[in-house]
Amino acid sequence: MAAHGDPRDEFLSEEDLDLRNLSFAELLAWWDLFLHQAQSSNDLDEDEYSHGVFALPRADWPWRRVAAPEAAAPRT
Amino acid sequence: MTIYLDLTRAFNSGRLRTIICSGQAVVLLRLAIASKDGDWILREDQEAIDHVLSVLEAHGASYRFGAPLDLRWLRQGWSSHFQFRLGDLRVRTDFFSRPPRVPPSELQALWSAQEGKDPPFTGPHVLLRIKQTGREKDWPIVGELARLLLDVRDQMLHSRSARDLLALAKDHPDLLAGLVAERPALAVVTQGLDELRLALERERFAAMDADASRIRTYLQASELLARVWSEIEQRTAGLPLRRAHAIVVGYAERWLPTVIPATSS
Repeated sequence: MAAHGDPRDEFLSEEDLDLRNLSFAELLAWWDLFLHQAQSSNDLDEDEYSHGVFALPRADWPWRRVAAPEAAAPRT
Repeated sequence: MTIYLDLTRAFNSGRLRTIICSGQAVVLLRLAIASKDGDWILREDQEAIDHVLSVLEAHGASYRFGAPLDLRWLRQGWSSHFQFRLGDLRVRTDFFSRPPRVPPSELQALWSAQEGKDPPFTGPHVLLRIKQTGREKDWPIVGELARLLLDVRDQMLHSRSARDLLALAKDHPDLLAGLVAERPALAVVTQGLDELRLALERERFAAMDADASRIRTYLQASELLARVWSEIEQRTAGLPLRRAHAIVVGYAERWLPTVIPATSS
């Protein structure tokens, strides 16, 4: 690793990494607060997937450009 | 206690069936709080599926568009997605049993290592593979996860920092030579900081493209199911999850292939 005093590549903010200094109870409190605050964006990500095999922005789904699913539904 | 830890305990009541991964694992590794959805690696057996469905049903969960939580699809890398309301929270729960880019041996080692843990969650080695996605926002996480690796060889194979790699190469020149075949970007270490930075970026963009291509393959394979999804939603509205699950499976058997063309997972 870089020697003390050398420049260091930073990936996350000091604020993020400061989670290491929290007790587990404090971490849980921050986590819970974040979850509640993050609900404000629910309308914006209603159709989005953050994990798994559908985790591309809905606008980039290949077959969305072909037809709306409802418009071409085969009968079962 | 957050809902995701509560759910994890319920999923794992009696035996280890699920391991927290992705965004919530990033929190537990104390790197960042960055995701409001939960996802889990699911043990690939029917009892685990039945138990998780029963827990989700007790919360009033419903399916989002995706594969059924069924071994036939899970074994081929598909993911299943659910959501429910808990007070003012929209809780999303995502599952797969074959996390992308994680070799079977590492997955098996993860299950063994997490046995008896509360909460069980992916460590940096598995998590950085999962996070090598097509999304820019995941790569800072990968960079920090690589710094959590204990083994020098693993650090050299996964570090995203050119400065870190130059320092590692200086301290371990013999190790470096043996890893170039596995990580070609290391071949330019001798050319200095700028060339190494460029090589790391080329490597990252190639990984991002591969992940996006993999996801597009699944999306294309799910087109027919998408066309009937509104009908599925109508037929499952208000049903307990396990009854809805049976309906989703019935549609998926007709409209969602289990095996899809080869992916890079």
